Amino acid sequence: MFTPKLKEALDHVQKPGRYTGGEPGCVIKDKSKVDVRMAFCFPDTYEVGMSFLGEKILYDILNQHENWWCERVFMPWTDMKAEMERLHMPLYALESKDPVREFDIVGFTLQYELSYTNILAMLELSGIPFYSKDRDENDPLVIAGGPCVCNGEPVAPFFDVMQLGEGENMLQSICAEVEKAKKEHLPRKELLLRLAKIPGVYIPAFYDVSYLPDGRIEKIRPNEPGIPAVVTKDILKDMNSYEPPRRFVVPMVGAVQDRASVEVLRGCVRGCRFCQAGFLYRPMRERSPELLDSAAHDLCRNTGYDEISLSSLSTSDHSGLEEILDRMNTWAEGEHVSLSLPSLRVDNFSESLIEKTNRVRKSGLTFAPEAGTQRLRDVINKNVTWEEIERTCTIAFRSGYTSVKLYFMMGLPTETMEDIEGIAETAQRVVNLYYSLPDKPKGKGVQVTISVACFVPKPDTPFQFCPQDTKEMLEAKQKHLLESVHSKKIKVNYHASDTSYLEAVFAKGDRRLAPVILDAYQHGCYFDGWEEHFKYAEWLECFDRAGLDPQFYSRRVIGLDEVTPWSHLDYGVSHDYLVREYQKAMQGVTTRPCNRACSGCGANHLLGGPCFEYDQNLVH
Amino acid sequence: MNTIRIWFTKTGEASYISLLDLQRVMHRCLKRSGLPVWYTMGFNPHIYLTFACPLPLGQESLTECVDCKTEQEAPDFEAWKQALNSVMPLGIAITKVEKAGLKAEHIGFARYTVTCRDERMAGALQEYNALPSALVQKKSKRGMKEIDLKQHIPEIHAEACAEGCRFTLLLPASDTLNLNPALLLKFVEEHYAIPAVNSDVLRTEFLAKNGEKFC
Repeated sequence: MFTPKLKEALDHVQKPGRYTGGEPGCVIKDKSKVDVRMAFCFPDTYEVGMSFLGEKILYDILNQHENWWCERVFMPWTDMKAEMERLHMPLYALESKDPVREFDIVGFTLQYELSYTNILAMLELSGIPFYSKDRDENDPLVIAGGPCVCNGEPVAPFFDVMQLGEGENMLQSICAEVEKAKKEHLPRKELLLRLAKIPGVYIPAFYDVSYLPDGRIEKIRPNEPGIPAVVTKDILKDMNSYEPPRRFVVPMVGAVQDRASVEVLRGCVRGCRFCQAGFLYRPMRERSPELLDSAAHDLCRNTGYDEISLSSLSTSDHSGLEEILDRMNTWAEGEHVSLSLPSLRVDNFSESLIEKTNRVRKSGLTFAPEAGTQRLRDVINKNVTWEEIERTCTIAFRSGYTSVKLYFMMGLPTETMEDIEGIAETAQRVVNLYYSLPDKPKGKGVQVTISVACFVPKPDTPFQFCPQDTKEMLEAKQKHLLESVHSKKIKVNYHASDTSYLEAVFAKGDRRLAPVILDAYQHGCYFDGWEEHFKYAEWLECFDRAGLDPQFYSRRVIGLDEVTPWSHLDYGVSHDYLVREYQKAMQGVTTRPCNRACSGCGANHLLGGPCFEYDQNLVH
Repeated sequence: MNTIRIWFTKTGEASYISLLDLQRVMHRCLKRSGLPVWYTMGFNPHIYLTFACPLPLGQESLTECVDCKTEQEAPDFEAWKQALNSVMPLGIAITKVEKAGLKAEHIGFARYTVTCRDERMAGALQEYNALPSALVQKKSKRGMKEIDLKQHIPEIHAEACAEGCRFTLLLPASDTLNLNPALLLKFVEEHYAIPAVNSDVLRTEFLAKNGEKFC
């Protein structure tokens, strides 16, 4: 398994443990007894990829099939990529160390637009042709899943198959069809026609896109008989029908998120208008406290982790959260496990929650007001008030917390400099609040960190129609924010806007961008999400060479009746609803969370009935 | 309270686990095993663990050891060994669990087997054997230090094997002086142009300062 070549490469790179596999919990099978081999590729480093829960879920489900073997592949860091090229070593999967090219299915997860070039790097290292049209019967089926598939058009020409929505059922159906196709020696095209019948499966090559003279899209239509005009995402109707994984591959080189984690619910009821995940994963579905407790307990025992996170888009919206914590607290402390909630909300935070999650260890507090003024918070439908922030911080400070992190965005639709000043004011009021409390922690100062991200308008949100702020506008706002902060107790973190700009271009881009991404990769762009490797000037030259203006995608107001590049991809939320929400946003009118009142987004059709029983009080 | 010594191999995949990572891996594996190991009493309780004489990244070993503690009065060592073997990563096999004897500071020497895939190695070693001295730079806490390898390895006798050739080294591995075969391989690389990566190092045994087997 460890060839002299691999040993030589490992001898020359940082953190060789990223490339060896063999971690506790990894699945090793006898390949002579396996019918379908899938390489699950994460287009970023091992440490980032091993933090991703989706891969753990699908790895577990696929490997439960005795005759299928799912293995892991990550993007080699720059030093390892160079070594592999120097030694002519193909990209391999960590479990078997077999070349990715020999697999039946090569699946990428699209989590972030700026990892697109890494996908091309991984295909090249594997020796697999970049474009779907250039692959033949001897090549693996190259597939994609994950949130960016909602407008995967900029990379669609690189994929044979894309999956809309949740992979639990879909990926198993794909593997089953591939297994049948191999036995029948089915031609590739016939296999793709069969795969297109699986709910949620999108075959980019079966759709033709035509453009208007100004670059907007004229039409997107199927070019094969029997192919649907619109592909609708697949979901798990009942979250209790699939258990969360009770075992993980436990990384030995520290991952970014190196802890056990159970997914308590999927989707989000809040409807924050900037949040793509909040729309993509609708409707909200919960897992039962019994199932969560039992899976979490097994997971901790099977991995040896001493921390478990209850993860989801909005964990404190689970109607049985207190019950979940009570059940877990019966064993957690005795087994040296601490519980953590990654996504607390300021509006339903309580002393009992703090107490129940901190039996073992105390960690920092993080909240996301997202905008600095009530007016703008109403526009983005982040229904958080200053009174709630005040109440929450009071509880936290009284419980001994002395540092609070506040997340904001800048560049939001309708934003003015007043809203930017509001960010600094909010932080200052939190500082003042701390010093006004007679029962604050003794002898300690307070630290308020404000992290400000640049807003990127995303498809399938009410703000998909909005243009992104220019670099100059964002930089002026960053400067104004720094000038508005007057306390040493407040620390400001912000990022360069160049990466957000490119993210916006790809988020709303179309198929014409595929050659630009390939050109950029061939000119040395990869690991674009890592600031030290991001080559902004190179990217601009690539757009130039292709005769495309990136601002066409990021800066243009999209008409409410325009055909978008993603108009044939249905995530359950209707176009009319997005328009309605956009109009409400412009009027500063909020929408209630969907467990209090249904606002008719359309996602309930995916369930075949209402999402909630509204006579019950699901909100606490 | 008993101190338990766990002996294990560190080969293949596991040879690339750094000491820092190994501590975390062992912590989690002990936790998974469900064995009654002792936790420290501090603010963040953790399993008490001490490793002896860490191995450089990429080298293999048949004889690593780590100490932990238990309040169990008469631990069933065979049961411990089985419980641990069922939770270890690839490349770590538990070879023995026993009550700790000598403390790690009594380790004086370690024995290594070096396997080289380069056919020129046997000739290079003959030349080495004829040298009056072989000076190398060794990094220590107090900066670089010059060491004459010939004082510690006067002669090396290599045997032919399937891969190329093989030889054993007995080197100081104490808290005052710890020499690794990598120093010799670096010397050979610099003087005879045989790349160090063409050799694999395997640690096979620890000896106490008095020259007897360390246990």
